[in-house]
Amino acid sequence: MTDLISRLARTPQGAAGLALVGLVLLVVVFGPLLAPYDPEAMAPLLRYKGPSLVHLLGTDQYGRDILSRLLVGARATVVMAVLATLLGTLVGALLGTASAFLGGRADEAIMRTVDAVMSIPSLLFALLIVNLLGKSGLNALLAIGIAFAPGMARVARSVALAVRKQDYVNAAIARGEGGFHIVVREMLPNVVAPIIVETTIRVAFAVMLFATLSFLGLGAQPPAPEWGLMVAEARKYLNLSPWMLIWPSIAIAIVAIGFNLLGDGLRDALNPRT
Amino acid sequence: MEQPALTISGYSLDYLTPRGVHHALVDIDLAIARGEVLGLVGESGSGKTSLAWSIMRYLPGNARENGGRILLGRDDLRAMAPAAIEEIRGRRIGMVFQDPSTSLNPTLSLGIQLAEVLERHRGLTRRQAWREGEQMLARVGLKDPPGMMRRYPHEASGGEKQRVVIAQAFACQPECILFDEPTTALDVITARQILELFAELQAETGVASLYISHDLALVSRVADRVAVLHHGNMVEQGQVAGVFGAPREAYTRRLVAAVPRPDRRLVAELGPAEAAAAPLVAARGVSVEYGRPSAIARLFGRDRAPVVGNRAVSLDVRPGEIVGVVGESGSGKSTLARALTGLNPFSGEIVFDGRPVRGIADMDGAYRRDVQIIFQHPDSSLNPRQRIGEILARPLRLHDRLPGAAEAARIGELLEQVRLPATYAGRYPHQLSGGEKQRVAIARAFATAPRLVICDEITSALDVSVQAAVIELLLDLRRRHGTAYLFITHDLNLVRQIAHRIAVMYRGDLVEVLDAQAFSAGPTHPYTRSLVAAVPVPVG
Repeated sequence: MTDLISRLARTPQGAAGLALVGLVLLVVVFGPLLAPYDPEAMAPLLRYKGPSLVHLLGTDQYGRDILSRLLVGARATVVMAVLATLLGTLVGALLGTASAFLGGRADEAIMRTVDAVMSIPSLLFALLIVNLLGKSGLNALLAIGIAFAPGMARVARSVALAVRKQDYVNAAIARGEGGFHIVVREMLPNVVAPIIVETTIRVAFAVMLFATLSFLGLGAQPPAPEWGLMVAEARKYLNLSPWMLIWPSIAIAIVAIGFNLLGDGLRDALNPRT
Repeated sequence: MEQPALTISGYSLDYLTPRGVHHALVDIDLAIARGEVLGLVGESGSGKTSLAWSIMRYLPGNARENGGRILLGRDDLRAMAPAAIEEIRGRRIGMVFQDPSTSLNPTLSLGIQLAEVLERHRGLTRRQAWREGEQMLARVGLKDPPGMMRRYPHEASGGEKQRVVIAQAFACQPECILFDEPTTALDVITARQILELFAELQAETGVASLYISHDLALVSRVADRVAVLHHGNMVEQGQVAGVFGAPREAYTRRLVAAVPRPDRRLVAELGPAEAAAAPLVAARGVSVEYGRPSAIARLFGRDRAPVVGNRAVSLDVRPGEIVGVVGESGSGKSTLARALTGLNPFSGEIVFDGRPVRGIADMDGAYRRDVQIIFQHPDSSLNPRQRIGEILARPLRLHDRLPGAAEAARIGELLEQVRLPATYAGRYPHQLSGGEKQRVAIARAFATAPRLVICDEITSALDVSVQAAVIELLLDLRRRHGTAYLFITHDLNLVRQIAHRIAVMYRGDLVEVLDAQAFSAGPTHPYTRSLVAAVPVPVG
């Protein structure tokens, strides 16, 4: 593990990704403690303020401190994105590995279904699911998880096909192991490296997808300090204070870029040939 | 004295690895005269291939050379500029690689690849090079050279491809050619023909050859002199008969002693009672076909002839008997093993201990427990993400369900039984050497006290001295447990040492089954005879 991190820090994109994601994690863990004001405390006299020493990032249309809202909202935004990606990864990896293990007609059936789901753009698919299940943060999480699963299944299957041909899988079949054991214990651990890379890159997508869903009013509901929602609300007051829109957008960009760089770095670090 | 074609003196090479400096070659001295073949033998990791690449001046970025000289004729290769080296590669030094299927570019026709060498180094036009290339192909014994020039690598057999690579190497009449295990990837009979071609071309052109191989018997057949490499050190060098017949160094003696000799039997013959016993396992007309027609092909009613893996193979193994299965690659040896262990669907019947098994569904827990398989590559048969203890615990949990402490003790016993320390249970496979990994695979097969163990080429990925130790271990385990073996191999000398009966397979058919004595006396089937004739006689 420490070896992996030192390998990661050796590449420029890995080091930058590690620093940005580390910063984001610090905010997620300690954000509410660091916040100077209550994120939901309104101040009618201090509305639409630009950055100043009192309010470092300014205030919004109700006079709430934007910095405090960003720090507190990090949990909702980043944790939800990570959870949704993990859900999609788990479902996709199991599906892809099982499909590669079964082979033949079962493989065809699973992968063609996955192709059909993949042909729907993930945002559209997430919108569809949220509309079916109702508007809420949890449903948005489910929607994004399900939308991500087909892509992960493809990645997992392509690696698992090579693993399937290895003799340790043959040895397990020959000694009479069940299919579940072979998929979960023999194959999955050997498929994991490329999946980790794919997962980190997808966290960035999930953050943006969540922001988009909240922006469209289908994810988190006001007055939650979720970043996408903050951007959506600030849109109406753009002419009064552009800062309200700029700060949460920058925060979303930092998370997206951080996870993307980390994924790039991990791809190199986990590949022993480089 | 005449200047040798290739002289290496005091040459040392290190690799810088994250775990420190690895001394690949230490103070190497050798010389090859014109028209001479120097055999370079050594086990994997001894630096044979590193030496070839340092002569070629193509070393990886982490290589560091610590002095010494490499002279081609009178020219010091180490002092040359990269551009000058490029002129020499292919022109004055040729190279033939192990696997012809990877050393030819699959997207270019054989003719283009051969003509390119001639255009580049001899300044011929495309038309001249093409004509010259056809002559070269005729020279290396290929039928229909104009047709062969137009073919792509996948349209030629392994032996034909290796002939093209050899033609490439000889094309510019180089002073020196490096052969890196040129017949290892080929079948015995094809390898024999390639060696004959090599001897002819060698005598005709008078080129100096460095012949790298791990196979001592092969080297003793082709080489004039031989050099033995061990951990990057030159152990011994001299005439073939001298080095292999009366080795001076302890390492060479061990190496020579480890080479299988068919006249030195390692097992006791079966007694009359054992030989007459009812078979433990009997395959009755087992056939395997590969590939299924696609849905579209079925829809249009198109028939596609399936690939035959086994054609109605019938073979018995008696309790405690060792049956060897030999044949070329693609002869269906492994297919038979896979059918017996339920990895391939098959038709026909397997009778195990009186119980009929007609398909994979009939293979119950008792059958799985009694029939175990060991695979060729331990790297692939041990899951790299599991510790040795976990790997050995699986068959125990599946069949015995011991309580935790008893299970740990049993794993320790299993490891000690294959002569590994019990502490290895906590290690991962990549922390073990190839021979140790194969021992773990053997321990796993013996975890359930099986009555038949199928060994599928289990020693062919191992060095000769490790192979001898693994074989010795297998025979010891058989003495203790009375296990029967189905021993699949392409190494005739090895199988004649240990098998009670030998089954010969050819293109999916079981050609004949012979007693070991009958095999030594002279096989009857023409295919078996040609197989025996192609195998090099062991050294010493």
